[in-house]
Amino acid sequence: MSAATATPVEPGAGPWARWENEHRSVALRNLPFPVLYACALLVLATPAADATDPRLVLLSAALVAAALVLTGVASARTLPPGAAALVPLLELAAVGPLRATTGGGASLFTALVIPPVIALAVDRRRRGVAVAVLATAAVLVVPQWLGGMVTTVPDLVRAVFTPAALGVAALTVNELYRRLSDRLETVGELQEQQTDLLAQVEMRAAELELLSRRLAGANETLGSVIDAVTEQAIVSCDLAGVVRVWNPGAEKMLRAQRGDVVRRRSVTSLHLPAELEAARTAHPDGAHLSSFDALVAGAATHGSEVRDWTWVREDGSELTVELAVTPRRDGSGALAGYTLVATDMTAARAADRLRDEFTSLISHELRTPLSSILGYLELVLDDPDEVLTDEQRQYLATVDRNAHRLLRLVGDLLFTAQVEAGRFTLRSAEVDLSAVVRAAVDTSRVAATAAGVTLETDVLPGLVITGDADRLGQVCDNLLSNAVKFTPRGGRVRIALDTYRRADGPVAALTVADTGIGVPADEQGALFTRFFRASTARRHAVSGVGLGLTITQAITTAHGGTMDLQSEPGRGTTFTVVLPVVGTPATAGTRR
Amino acid sequence: MSPRVLIADDESDIRALVEIAVRRAGAQVLDSLPDGTAALAAAGRDLPDLVVLDVGMPGLDGLQVCTALRADTRTADVPVLLLSAGASPADVERGLAAGADTYLLKPFRVSELADRIRELTGDPR
Repeated sequence: MSAATATPVEPGAGPWARWENEHRSVALRNLPFPVLYACALLVLATPAADATDPRLVLLSAALVAAALVLTGVASARTLPPGAAALVPLLELAAVGPLRATTGGGASLFTALVIPPVIALAVDRRRRGVAVAVLATAAVLVVPQWLGGMVTTVPDLVRAVFTPAALGVAALTVNELYRRLSDRLETVGELQEQQTDLLAQVEMRAAELELLSRRLAGANETLGSVIDAVTEQAIVSCDLAGVVRVWNPGAEKMLRAQRGDVVRRRSVTSLHLPAELEAARTAHPDGAHLSSFDALVAGAATHGSEVRDWTWVREDGSELTVELAVTPRRDGSGALAGYTLVATDMTAARAADRLRDEFTSLISHELRTPLSSILGYLELVLDDPDEVLTDEQRQYLATVDRNAHRLLRLVGDLLFTAQVEAGRFTLRSAEVDLSAVVRAAVDTSRVAATAAGVTLETDVLPGLVITGDADRLGQVCDNLLSNAVKFTPRGGRVRIALDTYRRADGPVAALTVADTGIGVPADEQGALFTRFFRASTARRHAVSGVGLGLTITQAITTAHGGTMDLQSEPGRGTTFTVVLPVVGTPATAGTRR
Repeated sequence: MSPRVLIADDESDIRALVEIAVRRAGAQVLDSLPDGTAALAAAGRDLPDLVVLDVGMPGLDGLQVCTALRADTRTADVPVLLLSAGASPADVERGLAAGADTYLLKPFRVSELADRIRELTGDPR
């Protein structure tokens, strides 16, 4: 409840105290007596009554005056509430002398005790009744004793009977008063509760209005964002699959207007039926699923799913979409439906397919003639019936060497294409890496000798790791042939294989260091990029297409390893390949 | 009588090379055909002792012919040697899954092809 609506009472005051403050002023309660007393004085001035002792009248009037003063003071609330109870007592006391001087038991003014007795009875407590009875008895008896008058038997009876009768009346008044005030208290409490409730309702209403304004604002923002997306289709459906949201991107992609789709079509109607059916059959619980269940199964299980689907427009044309399906929840967190965000991948997938087809075409179309060349060369070179001259043999060996070089190039191109497409797989097994390195050294020794380059080896024997032997051989061949190729006559190439323990397990380290032309620092980062060739390589007219290091890097990464180089132009280059001994080769082959 | 080998490859130069290898392996060429459909028909008709198939052929490719041969009870046990320019491990796996006994990558050495033919035709030499 806000401070503005609070009633100004002291803190902790109950409803009853407030009622008392507002409605039961001391003055109001004690008003009847002074009025009656004034009447009594008027009566006293007439011959109908006579006072035997004017001093007692004066005493009585003084007591009434004191009561009036106290009433005024108590009404102003400068005294504690208990002080107000003194007023009726003073009034009762005033009746005593007046009655005594106007005939005692025969006095006209005995009835004046009634208003103060009632005033004392009007209280939550019964104590006031007892006080009133005792005070009345005293008023009837004491002045006569003091005045030395004879107390007769009727006087004594009166002194008992009158207070008793008044006490019963006072008790009745007290009881009525208590009941009434209980009711009033209840009513007060109810009123207060009602006020509280009303305030709460008002507050809630205000909060609700604020929230609904905010919600409307948020909805508007969300709507405008969704509507601004024109290149992605955003479609939302309920749990039955019925479309609820259809953005302009969806209108554009599927050429269907919002009004024709929302609440009228199911998201499954956007899909190629055969594909949904295949997804349903592929699901372990396929027999119990609807095609909509199959569509959202992944999202329902894993929170979201992204995969390619085929969507069909109303005119029957198809498009490949990359579709992200995510569950949509309502305010209470309960599943309310699904949101589908589709990106048209038709062109991209077609390009992928074209590239794959081109790659296999290249592979096939280049390998087939090379197969013929190499096959027939073999026949000529190995023909025992037609012995070739040394010169002829030398020429044909050159043809053979170049055909093999072409073949390697085709292999490298195919391999890098596979790496690009993410379709390159390792055939992992236990590999004697030491043997692989030694074989690579043997292979490159011929070229090294011809180039006048010294090969030094420091290979730890018997180092076995998990990996693809052919691909690891390719790594060694590439690094060694590069080192030999880029090292001038008289230089040295040192190949070392060692193992050491790293925090994540033992690793094999292969180092190939040359004293060659080196790679400028600013080109080292680009060295592993396909077809990149260092400026030093071009300047020194060293042949190559720039695929070797790309392939070496890809194989190393697939084995869970790392590759580094240190190089200084003119001083040489050192390549270091670090491979885990127990490899967890990256499982390539998953596409997007 | 020497084993009879059926050859299918769309490249005549390669076919000639395979024929040489067959003869070097001590077998005879039953037929040498440029496409898979004809090879499948010939195999069903003549029941050769070995079929050498190129994977990349127009029409029925080598894998399809191989699968069809295995599905036919008459030819289910005829050894099949696949030749392919496809170089990835997945290609080899597909070939073996189709039921081929041996898979040889192009370019192949004639001597190696001859050895494989000898093995598959059970020539003890």
